[in-house]
Order: sequence, then C-alpha cells, then structure tokens
Amino acid sequence: MKLLIVDDEQPARVRMQRLLGDIGNHTVVAEADHGEAALDAVQTHAPDVVLMDIRMPGMGGLEAARHLAQLDQPPAVIFTTAYNEYALEAFDAQAVGYLVKPVRLEKLARALEHAERLSTAQLDAVRDADETPTARTHFSARMGDRLRMIPVEQALYLQADQKYVAVGLPDEEVLIDDSLKSIEAEFGSDVFFRIHRNALVAVAHLRGVEKRRDGTIGALVHGSDKSLDVSRRHAAELRRFIRGG
Amino acid sequence: MASDPMADQHDTHGNYLPDFCSGQMVLTIVLVAEFVALVLALSQYSTPQEFWLVLARASLFLLWIGLGSAALLCAARNALNGRSTTAASALAGGLLVGNTAIISLAALALAKYFFGDAQNALLQPQHAGIFLLRNVTICAIVSALLLRYFYVTHQWRRNVELQALSRISALQARIRPHFLFNSLNTIASLTRDKPSLAEQAVEDLADLFRSSLADASIKIHLKEELEMTRMYQRIEELRLGERLHVVWDVDDLPMRALVPGLCIQPLLENAIYHGIENLPGGGTITITGRDYGNGFDIDIRNPLPPRPPTPTRSGNQIALKNIRQRLALAYDRPAKINAGPEGDEYRVTLWIPKVESA
Repeated sequence: MKLLIVDDEQPARVRMQRLLGDIGNHTVVAEADHGEAALDAVQTHAPDVVLMDIRMPGMGGLEAARHLAQLDQPPAVIFTTAYNEYALEAFDAQAVGYLVKPVRLEKLARALEHAERLSTAQLDAVRDADETPTARTHFSARMGDRLRMIPVEQALYLQADQKYVAVGLPDEEVLIDDSLKSIEAEFGSDVFFRIHRNALVAVAHLRGVEKRRDGTIGALVHGSDKSLDVSRRHAAELRRFIRGG
Repeated sequence: MASDPMADQHDTHGNYLPDFCSGQMVLTIVLVAEFVALVLALSQYSTPQEFWLVLARASLFLLWIGLGSAALLCAARNALNGRSTTAASALAGGLLVGNTAIISLAALALAKYFFGDAQNALLQPQHAGIFLLRNVTICAIVSALLLRYFYVTHQWRRNVELQALSRISALQARIRPHFLFNSLNTIASLTRDKPSLAEQAVEDLADLFRSSLADASIKIHLKEELEMTRMYQRIEELRLGERLHVVWDVDDLPMRALVPGLCIQPLLENAIYHGIENLPGGGTITITGRDYGNGFDIDIRNPLPPRPPTPTRSGNQIALKNIRQRLALAYDRPAKINAGPEGDEYRVTLWIPKVESA
C-alpha cells in the first residue's frame, strides 16, 4: 500500500518509517509536518492510507481528516496520538482508527490491515466528543477531484443557497458543503454574525450598516462592494452588536 | 476581633461566620441558650421553686436574644459577605449588641406593662439602667468570644483546605502525561540511530520524574529548579528539533534561594505547549531573571501562535493557578505571578521573596 506519514515531530516520523520498514509490503510515498501539507501530499501522491498525528501546529490532524473526507476517493486515515485525545474514544468500537504513541509494531500492522475510510459523520462525532473543540482553520471546496482550501479569516460572508453555502471572497464566491447552522455553532457569533435567515457576516470584515432607499437594511464588508441583506429580525441585534463591540 | 493580627495576612473575604440561616444552626442556638439558662438558674436558685422560675425567665429571655441574633445575622448575610474581616466583625458585633439592647428594653417595657412599677424587685426603675447595661456588656463579651471562636475555626479550616489543595496542586504540577508519552516516543525513535542521545534522554526523564515525585512541601535551591528546567528543555529539544530555541539570562539570580519544587519548569512547559508547538516554524523562548535584594523575579516569554478563530483553550490557567497557590503557601511575604499577552508574545513574570538557606 501507498502510505503518507503526517507528524510535526521529526523523531516520530523517523520511528514510523522504521516500523513500516520492519512490516514491509508498504511504500511511504511522502511525509508531511502539518495538516495543510498533508492535504497537498494526498492530492499529489494519492496514498491509500494516511498515518496522521492529531496535535500539529496550524491545521491539526482532525481538521485535515475532515477535509480529506470530502474527496471523491479519500484515503483511509489512522490517527496517531500521544495522549489526552479523549475524543478518539469515539473510535474505540473498531479500535483500528487510532494508535497511541509509542506505536507498537503489531498494532500498526493490524491497523493497516483493517484501515478504512472515515466518514464525515464519524469525524463530526469525534469533533462533538472533543471537550475543547477547536474550530477549523480552513473551509474546503471541492473543485473536481481536488480540494480548494480557503482560510477562514478570508471569508467576508457566508450565504446559503438551496443546497450549498457560498463563501464570499473579495472577487468571487466559492461553494462549500457545510450548513450555515453548523458554521454558526462551530465559530460562534464573535466570528460570524447572523444577519439573515440565509446569511452570516464575518465580524472581522464588517464595515457598517446602511439604510437603503427602499427602507431595507444592508450590511457592508471591507473588500467587497456588495451590500448584504439584513433581515428586519436581525437588524436590531446587529446594531446592538456593532455598538457593543 | 478587629485587631486580630491574622486578619491582614491572607484573608481578603470577610465572611468567616457560619450560615445562620440553616436549620442546624438555629437548633444549635436554641440548645446553647437553654444551657446558658440552666447555668444561670443553677447559680442563682435557693429553693426548687425559684430554680424553675429563674430557668423559665432566663430561657425566655435568652431564646429571644439568641433567635433574634440568628435572624439578624441571617438577614445581614449579604451585607457581611465581601467585606473585610474587620468590617464584617464590627458589623456583626454591632448587630448582636444592638439586638440585645432592643430585646432588653422590650423586656423592661413588658414587665412594666404586666407588673407595674412597684411589683417586681428585679425590674425596679432604678434597676432598669443597670439591667440594660449589664445585658449589653455580657452580650458584648460573649459576642466577642463567639466571633473570635468562629474566626479561629474558620482560619483553621481554611488552612487545612489550603494544605490539602496544595498537596493536590503538587500532584497536578507533576509533568503532563502528554509530555511523558511524547518523550517515550522520541526515545523509542532514538534508541536505534542515536543510542547515546536516547540514553541521555532516559537519564533526564528519570531525574525529572524523581523530582516531581519528591515531597512538594520541601523547598529546593533555585539552582536545582533551574537545572530541572534545563533537563526538561533538553528532552523537548530532541523532540522539536530546530523549532525550539530557549535563551537563558539568569546569571543574576541568587542560586541558593529556596523555592518550591516545580515552580519554573511548568512555565517553560506551558510556553512550549501553548506557544512553540503551535507555531509551524517554532520560535524562541526567553527566560530572564533579576535579583532585587529582598526578592527576585523570573520572566518567561514565548511567541504567540496566530490566534485561532475561536479561542477555546484555557489549560494554561491551571498551571498558573497551581503555582500561585503553592507560592502563597511557601512564603510569609507575598509572592506574585503575572501572566498575559504582551504584543505578539505571552509573558509570565514570577516575583519570589528571597529566603536563603544557611
């Protein structure tokens, strides 16, 4: 099988390489030291299995796995962790989804034999089980068989269509697979503030509120000429929020 | 009460009084009032008849005072909370004496109403003033004794709690399991390629754990604590490689000063766990120490990782709280610990009063 090792600690990668060498039959096609590098490596090298550390600087393993799950042919993911990631007990039923460090050779071999793809639902369950869930650093959009990563802080607003949510960027809109409700829950109103049944605005980019000629209210954001509809219901809350912040 | 020397030391919240609103407390007061009435009756009677009379009268009077006081202290609970020990004591004492004065006056008025002026020898007009003065004085003495008793009991309980807490803190201060397993993983990785490094890491790890298992109430030399911190750094350097840089500027520090064990190492651990480990390129931690004669400070700074969209982590505070508690218990003079972001760095400053070994 083709394998990808993702760990921010060099000694940990070295040891994993050696264990895999001892098992044989596998090729390590690449190594990565954080989540974003892992996503790139997966799309370049198309590994069958990703051995993924959870705690890494920048994008961590759980978030990277969530993005991977969106691919048409996602690789199987086996998490490796030192301790404390209680959330992983969510996987305990199969006991193949994760390995604790220092990893034992037999357990690694067995996990590779049983490696399976993780579903988005499984990953969401892990995130929900996490005591201090950290919001993701990127939104991911599927572009054919590739993923496009959008740093969360670049999003100006999020607007829901029937099926998709569009992330507003300065010059374009990109469709992602999340719901406004889940995004609201994940980041909280300090990051994305609800202005309409079908829209959230990025607080960091919020420029102000305008009263339009027809009496309706619009929200303005830095970096875009767009005036976003603010529903009557949310207008008062938005004004209070702007004044309070 | 007000001049109690212990009041100034640690206590910042004044309410050392038990909860007078509880049923248990009311029952206690009834029993105490009855006992006092019994003592009074026993000390005064000459005939059995008189005994019962004195007992009945004293019981009635004391119960009114006791229950009235409890009701007042219960009602004044909010006013007492949050005041300094001195202010709370003065207020409570005032309430108790005032209550006794009012009930004494009420008793006088009732006696006058029922018996008239001449009837009762005890309550003759010329005795009324003495009666009032006597009750108020007794009440003042008993209140002072009681408040003192409550205060001492409260302090004693607080000390026991603090000691237990510090024992727990010392346990918690022991090195994070995360660190243990990561280190073991590093050692497992080094054993084949670099056995001598692995050996050194095992030795460092052993010393670290030995010191973390030592009795937390025994102070150690600052030099030992700094050595321990350096050992910890060496292990982390093996794991994080080029990502971790630590700059030490501590030559000024009084190495023979006594400090509680594990008061500095956890701060470096925090700086790595919350700072360096979250930075893809790593960074530099600066540890600076200055001696000020009567004390010294140690300053630990680490670069802050780019802020995640939702700041959810608060684990940092646990270690700080922990060290603060142990420092508070270790010194008579206050030790200080300040922490917070400063520009693009996170900075923790310890101020420790100097206690040197002979």
